[in-house]
This record gives sequence, C-alpha cells and structure tokens, in this order.
Amino acid sequence: MSHKATKIGVTSLVLLTAFGVLMYTTLGESMQYYKYVDEVTAQPASVWKDKRLQVHGHVVPGSIGKKRDTLDYRFEIQRNGQKLTAFYTGIVPDTFKDDSEVVLTGRLTSDGFVATDMTAKCPSKYEAAAPPLGAPPK
Amino acid sequence: MASLGYYLLLAAFVVCAYAAAISVGGARRRSRALIESGVGAFYLFTAIMAAASAVIVYAFVTGDYSIKYVQRYSDSTQPLFYKLTSYWGGLDGSIMFWVSLLSVFGAVAVYVNRERHRELIPYVVAVIAVVEMFFLFLMIVHNNPFSTYLTQNPTDGAGLNPLLQNFYMVIHPPTMYSGFVGLTIPYAFGMAALITGHLDDSWLRAVRRWTMIAWLFLSVGLGLGMIWAYEELGWGGYWMWDPVENAGLLPWFTATAFLHSVMVQERRGMLRIWNVSLVITTFFLTLFGTFMTRSGIVQSVHSFGQDPVLTKLFTGFMVAMLIVSFGFVIYRMPLLQARNELDSWLSREAAFMYNNWILLFSAFFVLFATMFPTLSEAITGERITVAAPFFNQWMVPIGLTMLLLTGIGPLLAWRRSTFENLRTQFIVPTVSGLALGGTVVALGIPIWSAGLCFAFSGFVVGTIGQEFWRGARVRQQTSGTDLFTAFVGLVGRNKRRYGGYLVHVGIVLMFLGFAGSDLKKHETLLMKPGQVVQVGDYGIRHDRIRVTDDGRKQMVTAEITVLRDGAELTKMYPARWFFRKHEDQPTTEVAIRRTLAEDLYIVMPQFEPGEQSANLEITVTPLVNWLWLGFGVLALGTLIAVLPETAFAFASARVPEAVKAATASMILLAIVAPAAVQAQDGTGVVTRSAEQRQLEEKIICMCGNSGCVHATLVNCPMRPACHGHTAQTAEIKSLLDERKDVDQVLAAFVEKYGQAVLAVPSNTGFNALAWGLPYLLGALGLVTILLTARRWSRPSAAVAGGGETQMDPGLDARLDDELRNLD
Repeated sequence: MSHKATKIGVTSLVLLTAFGVLMYTTLGESMQYYKYVDEVTAQPASVWKDKRLQVHGHVVPGSIGKKRDTLDYRFEIQRNGQKLTAFYTGIVPDTFKDDSEVVLTGRLTSDGFVATDMTAKCPSKYEAAAPPLGAPPK
Repeated sequence: MASLGYYLLLAAFVVCAYAAAISVGGARRRSRALIESGVGAFYLFTAIMAAASAVIVYAFVTGDYSIKYVQRYSDSTQPLFYKLTSYWGGLDGSIMFWVSLLSVFGAVAVYVNRERHRELIPYVVAVIAVVEMFFLFLMIVHNNPFSTYLTQNPTDGAGLNPLLQNFYMVIHPPTMYSGFVGLTIPYAFGMAALITGHLDDSWLRAVRRWTMIAWLFLSVGLGLGMIWAYEELGWGGYWMWDPVENAGLLPWFTATAFLHSVMVQERRGMLRIWNVSLVITTFFLTLFGTFMTRSGIVQSVHSFGQDPVLTKLFTGFMVAMLIVSFGFVIYRMPLLQARNELDSWLSREAAFMYNNWILLFSAFFVLFATMFPTLSEAITGERITVAAPFFNQWMVPIGLTMLLLTGIGPLLAWRRSTFENLRTQFIVPTVSGLALGGTVVALGIPIWSAGLCFAFSGFVVGTIGQEFWRGARVRQQTSGTDLFTAFVGLVGRNKRRYGGYLVHVGIVLMFLGFAGSDLKKHETLLMKPGQVVQVGDYGIRHDRIRVTDDGRKQMVTAEITVLRDGAELTKMYPARWFFRKHEDQPTTEVAIRRTLAEDLYIVMPQFEPGEQSANLEITVTPLVNWLWLGFGVLALGTLIAVLPETAFAFASARVPEAVKAATASMILLAIVAPAAVQAQDGTGVVTRSAEQRQLEEKIICMCGNSGCVHATLVNCPMRPACHGHTAQTAEIKSLLDERKDVDQVLAAFVEKYGQAVLAVPSNTGFNALAWGLPYLLGALGLVTILLTARRWSRPSAAVAGGGETQMDPGLDARLDDELRNLD
C-alpha cells in the first residue's frame, strides 16, 4: 500500500512540476500587463520597455489622424489628464471615435505606443443588449 | 400585465419551496401521499412558469413598453419572429427563460422516471426545486423582468441589438440553455442517489441518457454560436477564447469526460467516486459559467457592467452547493468503493482514464486561463491578461492528444491488451494515419500542427472503419445475411457504441476544420474602384460602392468581382447595414463564397462613399465547412445513441435506415440550408428580382448595339450611364413582366442581337457543389432507404443457406464479449 502511495505521489509530483514549468515558460511569452494610461505614464518609459502591454484609455477628441490612402492611424488616448500618443495600422473598430474607450495591445516606444491590436469598448451599448451566454464577442 | 407576471413569479417561488419541503418530508416519513404532493407541486410550478413566459411573450408581441425589459429589447418595427425571441435577448429575461426551461426538463425527467426510480424521485424534485428557487430569488429581488417604469411610459422600445437579429442568434441561446439546464438533471439524480444512499448503478442509467441529451444540446449550441460568430461578426474566425465562449466549453469538457468514464463504471464498477464528482463538477461549471459572464468578474470584450449584488448571491450559492455536494460524497465514501482494480495501463479502462484526464485538464486549463486576469489582479494587484495565442499554444497539443486517444481507445481490450491483439488492432489505423499524414505533408502542409492533425484524423478514421468492418463481418457470418444488413443490424443492436463512433467521426471532421483554419490566409486591403489584388488563388476586383435603403436600415454594399486565372468566378457583396436607432453600431454583412475545399470570406469594415474606395478584409479559410459538417455528424451519432431502445427496435424491424437517413438529411439541411440562405442574404440588397439578376449576368452589354466591351450587364464598365445597359435592362424587365421565363428571355435576346449577346456561363461548379451537398446527402439517404427496404423484403431463407462461418476465435471472443456487454 505504501509502495503504491509513493508511486502515485512521485508521479503526481513529477507531473505537477512539469506542468508548472511549462505554464511558467509559456505564460512569460504571452503575458500582457493591463494598465490604464495614467498608470503607464506615471512610471518612466524604461519600466515598460520590451514588455507586452495593454493600455486602457479614452480617445482624445480631435486627435485621430489618418494618413491618406493608408490604414495608418495616429491618435492620443488619455485618462485622468494623462495623455499618450498611439499608432495603429489596420482596420479600426466601428466604435473607434472621439472619446470612445479603447484597449490597445502593443509596445511602448520612445515615439509613443505602437499598437498591434485595438479593442473599442462601448459598455453601455453592450450592456443594453448583451449577447446571451455563449455568444462570442465582436 | 406586468404585475400579473410578477405575481406569477412569486407564486412560482412559493410552490417551488413547497415542492422542495414536502418532497424531503415525504421521503423521510416514507409517505407516498406527501411525495406525490411534491411531484404534483413541481408540475404546478412548471405550469406557472409557462404562464409567466406567456405573459412576457404577450407583452413583447403587443408592445407593452411600460415594462422596462420589453422596452429595452424590442421595438414596434421588429418582425414578429424577433419580438418572440427578444424574450431571451437580455439578462433578466434569459434568467427567466432558464428557469422555465429547467422546469420543463425537470417535469419531464420526473415524469419519465417516477416508477423506475421511485426512491430517488422526491430528492430529485427537491434538488431541482432548490436550484430553481435560487434563480427565482435572483429574479424577484434583483433581475425582475417584469419591472416597470414608474413614471412616463416610453412610447416605443429601444430595439434588439442588430447583431442578435440573426437566425443563429435566435436558436443559439435556447440550444445552449437547454444544454446547461439539461445538465442540472444528472446532478439532481446524482445528489438524490448520494442522499438516499441508493448508489448502485441504477441512478447512472437514468442519468446517462439525460447527460447525452444535454450534451447534444450543448454541442449543437456551441456549434451554432461558432457559425454565428463566423457569419455575423466578420473577423474570419469562429472561436477566440473569449470568457463567454469558454463558459460554454467548460461543462462540455466535463460532461464529455463523464459520458466516457461512466462506461468504466458500468463495465467494471470502477471510478465511482470519480463519476459522481464529475456530475457535480459539471453542474458547478454550468453555474460558474453563468456567473462568470453575468457578474462581470471576468473582463470580456462584451463588458457587462460589474454587478456586486449578483456576484455575492452567486458566490454564496455556488459555495453552498459545492460544500453540500462534496460533503455528501465524503459521507457516502464507504458506499462508493471501487469493485475492481485497474489490471493494466494498456487496457480500455486505462484509455478511458487518459481520456478523462485530458478532458479534465482541458477544462482546468481553460478555466485557469480565463480566470487568470482576475486571479492576477486579486493576488498581485496587477491585471495581467493572456490572449488567444496562449490558449492555442496549450490547446493545440492537448487537442491533438485527445484526437489520437480517440483513435487508440477503441483498439485496446478491456482488462489488458496482449501484444498480439495490439498488433492486429493497430496495423490498419496506423497505415491509414501515415498515408493521410504523408500525403498532406507531401502536398506542402506543415507537419505542425495541421499535418499531425491530418495524420491523427486518418488514424481515428482507420480505427472506426476497422471497428465497423469487423463488427459487420462477424454479424454477417453469424446471422448469415449480407454485409449491408449486418451493418445496419450491428448499429441497431449496439447503438450507444456505434453512435459513439459516429460522434467520433464528427469530431474528426471538426478537427480537419481546425487544421484548415491553421492554414488560412488573411489580407487587409484598401481598394479603389477597378483595382485588382491577388489573394491566394483569387483575384479580387473592387467595382464600386452602392448605397440603398429598405426602410428599416441603410445598406452600404461593395460590389466585388472574384477572378480566378483572369476569368470571372463570381460576384460578392460585403456590406455594412445601419439599422435605425442603432446607426452607431452598424452590422457587418459578410460575403462568403463556400466550397468544400475552402471559403472565400470578404468583409468591408470601412468605406469612403465619395471616392468609392473600400477597406476590405479578405480571408481564405480551407476546410471550414467540414467543421459545420462535423457538428451535423456528431448530432446524428448522438441521436442514434440516445434514441430509446424501443423506438430503435421498431425502426430496425421495419425500415431501419429510414429514421437515420431522414434524421441525417434533416440535420444537415437544418444546418446547411440556413447557412445558404444566410450567405445569399448578403446579396439580398439588390432590388432586382432573382431572374433579372441572373439574366443580367448572362447577357453581354451591347453598349448601343456594338458590343464594344465584352462585359455582362452586371459588370459593364460604362454603366450605369451606358446607353446599351439602360436599354437592355429595361428590355429584360419588360420581358419578365410579360411572365416570360429566363430561357424565353434569353431566346428573345439571341433573336434580336445574335449569339454574341450570350456571355459564357460563369464557373459555378464549386458553388453548385457546396449548395448541392445537403440535397446530395438527402438523395444518398433515400437510396440507402430503398436499398435496405429491398434487402429486408427479400426472403431470408435465400441467404441463410450459404456457407460455413470461418473466423478467428480470438476476435470472435473479443467481439462477443463487447457486443454482449455494451448494450
């Protein structure tokens, strides 16, 4: 009996360790910090260098600029008076406009925040018509 | 009306409480009268919920906008169909819908099992009633769908979110809920067994079928959600590991695990604690999934507001449920001891255990990764998120292992596999796996992960084919019929097993769909009219942008011509629809060109009406339709397994294939036909009739009798100002108005302008195949029916006489063993 218990114990320990190590290594690559604009600007840029970051803020009205005949956007996002310049290339969500709430995924550079992905939120709208359980998001 | 609904809810709560209390009392005093009273009260409760549902549906139909819920989720211009389905469009109504569904499921379960499992029934009633009471309580104190505006009634509603005004969104939530709700029934039976101590395997029998039914609903619900995401949301995929999606997937994993491990308990009396724990966990996960998506504790793109009251109520209920449930498991531990020990790690039992571990690990992983941001915030104070790539990184290898196990499991013998039977069992699947894997890799598909997926799929198909073949051979030889009859009889006699294999075939098809998605090509383009861009094998030409209006919405449509090798293949019309009152939330109308090999998927997220330029997202996804087909096959397999023995005996005695073939074609039709309608809906913005459209594609624009440009009326570059174009379209219209059919009109044109007026018919072969598939399958089913009927009508003496049976005694013994023991 004790022999069996040892075997089970050792096996689970090995499996758990393997799982933990795997989880840790893979997490490192895909982990993203989720911060508000003012939290990012509160610390020196070097803190965020080379870290994958999600920044949450509101689009500064009138700041959206688009290069003609391209999908390159330049705009500012803000929270609590702190502003951050952001760049994004690609198709923007419908709800991306002045004052809309966005979450950008990307990296902080010396020029500003270079986003690879953009999610625009419209909580009140979705709240009013929340897709039912199991419904995938936009 | 509103107060009537509210009083009905209150009455339902009281009746429910009575049913719970009186059932427990009756069971303790062994009073038949009290128990009967409890059951009766439960039926009454079901009736009250039906009445309450009728009230809210009535309010929606008549447009009673004094009720907040009605006002927020419907408006007067909505078609009746969507008015009815607005019932579950929002949170409050969906909870009520949930309660009503559960009451119906519960009533049916109680009615069906009232004699067979008499000792369990009072506690089944009590458990379901307590769960119902919790949700009713939520509604009464917090999410009352009948709450009204205290002052000033609005005159019209805000309207249902346009995203939800879609066929799949109408049937997806009820299917999903049926799955979730259905999983409450196994839990109720499990708890009843634990409470009463009647822990022999009889409760499993009651539970097994219900779990299968619930599992079927859940699977189909997930599938419909995926189709909806694919067709409606326009990002080219169907699954993005959003918390709301994961919520539906979690109980699916554990329910699947249970459906497998329950066989081990039936056969060998092992895993008894495990099975009852799985039932409890599955139910917990349905609650947790609801909680996760409704309370706002997990950040989802859906962004439900934080709801602290709901969070507290739900947490309390879930914790209580876990403590009570597992408390009973511990209390009944002595009764749950395994009757056998595992003989070998190379046995069927062990294979089921591996399968369970993988499934449970999947559930655990998905739960962990979904909760990770919340957990990290709670522990470190920093919200750290993980994105879809993280899920894929883990779930791809896990999924592949699961797929491989699907193939290995059925090859292993119960108790232990000898080297000899491993050898005979593994040859065919291994060869077929290597063959398929080798072929696709030779065709240039990367080994990781699509190539492996193909190889494993080949392996599983080899396994299943071998099982069907050997089973049918043995039955053919013992019963002396022909192979086909033997095959039908085999499935009829062992429907759970062979239905299960069919489910596996469905899973394989789905995995092929996943593998295809791994190979998809994606382009984002900014296009001006006339510009042509090459995406994969397709040339995409943007012709122009058109703006139309149908009263309910404004539609901006891009006209895209798809070219292959320079020749026009088809036209596609991605669009943006701006619904009234929801102008800031335009819907994306995806244009999809479906073929079995791949889908061409075009979305127009942005446009510039002035310059006529459009931003286009173009995705070419191979094999994606196999995924939907896989769901159809899975549903068919589950239906075969779940149909009552008696129904099947009757069916297999008369016209054995009729039921299945008919079901098959119906399911496939149900799934593919709306898809077809939906896809064609994208072209529905055209105001011309179908015939007219068809003709314009067939007739060359003569541009003032000269035919200077060889282009059809539809894509004549000179239009709409072109003189010939205007004249010819008018001509078509007038001929059609004279009730001439397409061919007559064409004939008239040939007479007037000569043969040159006819365009070469465009290449629609692939399209035809995709559309024709359901009908083809239907026809196949019909042929099968006829074939079977013919065989059945043949006197059996004619075939029974022939030949002695020769077979491997070992194989015979093994098959015999399995056939006898698995119903």
